Amino acid sequence: MSNGGILMIIGGALSAVATILYLDWRVKNPRAKKPSMPPLATPAAQKTEALAQPQTIKSAKEDVEHIFNDEFREELRNRGRLHFEKIIGENAMFLQQDLRQTTTQLNDYMRAEITRTLQEEFKKYEQSIVDAKQIALDSIEKTVTTIEQQRQLMETQMQTQAQAQRNQIIARFEAQMAAVINHYLMQAIGNQIDLTDQLEFILTELENNKTAIIEDIKRGT
Amino acid sequence: MAPNNKELFNLPPEIVGKADINNLLRELELLESELIKLKGQASLSASQKNTLLRVTNELAQTAAGNNYDLKIASDRQKLTRRLTDVRDQAPLLYISFAAEPSPKVTQAILSWLRGNVHRYTLLHIGLQPAIAAGCILRTPNKIFDLSLRAFFERQQPYLVELIKGAALDQTVQSAAEEK
Repeated sequence: MSNGGILMIIGGALSAVATILYLDWRVKNPRAKKPSMPPLATPAAQKTEALAQPQTIKSAKEDVEHIFNDEFREELRNRGRLHFEKIIGENAMFLQQDLRQTTTQLNDYMRAEITRTLQEEFKKYEQSIVDAKQIALDSIEKTVTTIEQQRQLMETQMQTQAQAQRNQIIARFEAQMAAVINHYLMQAIGNQIDLTDQLEFILTELENNKTAIIEDIKRGT
Repeated sequence: MAPNNKELFNLPPEIVGKADINNLLRELELLESELIKLKGQASLSASQKNTLLRVTNELAQTAAGNNYDLKIASDRQKLTRRLTDVRDQAPLLYISFAAEPSPKVTQAILSWLRGNVHRYTLLHIGLQPAIAAGCILRTPNKIFDLSLRAFFERQQPYLVELIKGAALDQTVQSAAEEK
C-alpha cells in the first residue's frame, strides 16, 4: 500500500473525530456564536425584533432543549461512537489488509532481493571458485611440468652417471682382471697345481717362442 | 760357444746350471788330488782304491756319456777342459717358477732347450710365487713371460668379449622380462 492511501485513511479518521467533537461541543455550548443574521431594514422592525428577541431565544432554547435532550445526545454520542468504531474498524481492516499486502510485498521484495543478492553472491562465489580452480590447475600444471622437467633432467644425469660409472667399472675391471684372475688362481690352485701338470703348457709356450729365444741367444752371445 | 773339439760334448740333463758344472769341476779336482794321494799308497788293493775313488752319479754319467775314463788322467783333463768351456761359453738362461720344480720338470725343459735352442744351454732356476703357473724365461736380452698370468692377459680381450656378451644377454633378458 502506498503512503497516499495511508494518509487518506488517517485523514478520514481524523475528520470523523473532528466532526463528532464539533457536534458534541455545539451541543454542550448552545451560547456559542451563531452565524450572523442579516440585519433588519427598518427601525420598527428593529424595535419589534428587539422586543421579540428574548422571547424567540427563549423558545429556541426550549426547542433545542426539547430536541437535543439527554437521550438524544446520548443517542448521538452512541451513533457517533458506533460510526467512529465502524470507521476505525473499516480502516483497521483496510490497514490490516494493506499491512498484509505490504508484508506480502515486502516479503516478496525481500525474498527477491535476498534471492538476487544470494544469486549474485553465489555467482561471485562460483566465479571465485572457478578462478581459484583455474589458478590451482595452472599451478598444478606448472608444477607437473617442472617436476617432469626435473625428472627428465635427473634421469639424464643419472643415466650419464650410471653409464660413466659403468664404463669406469668396466675399464677398471678390464685393467685389473688379469691381476684378479691371477690372484684368484694363486689362492685357489697356486699351492696345489703341480709343475708336472704344467709341463705341457710350458713346453708349448717355449715352442711358440722358440725362434725369438734362439735369435736372442745368438744376438746375446 | 761350442767346444772346439771335433767330437760333440754330451751334457747330461742332470747338469742344469753353472753350479752343477762347478760342482763337477770341484769333484774332478778332488778326484785328481785323491788319485795323486793314492799313487803313494801301493799297499792298497784295487777294491780299496775303487772305494776311495767313488764319484757322484752326475760326474759318472757325464764321463760315461762322453766316453771318458775317470781313471785316465788325460780324459779327466779333457773332461775338465770341456766342462770349463761349457761353463764359460754356454748360454745361460734364467727361468723362474712359482714353486720349486721337480728334477723331472727341470730335465724335461732342459732337454727341450738343448734339443731345440742350444746344445749346451744352462739354466738358473729361480722362484717367483706371483706367477702362479707356468714360468718366466729370461734370455740375455729378453724376458719371455710364459706364465699363466701372461696367457690370461693375452686372452683378456676374448674374456672381455665373453663378459660383455653375457652382460648384454642378461640386459636384454631383463628388459624382455620387464616388458
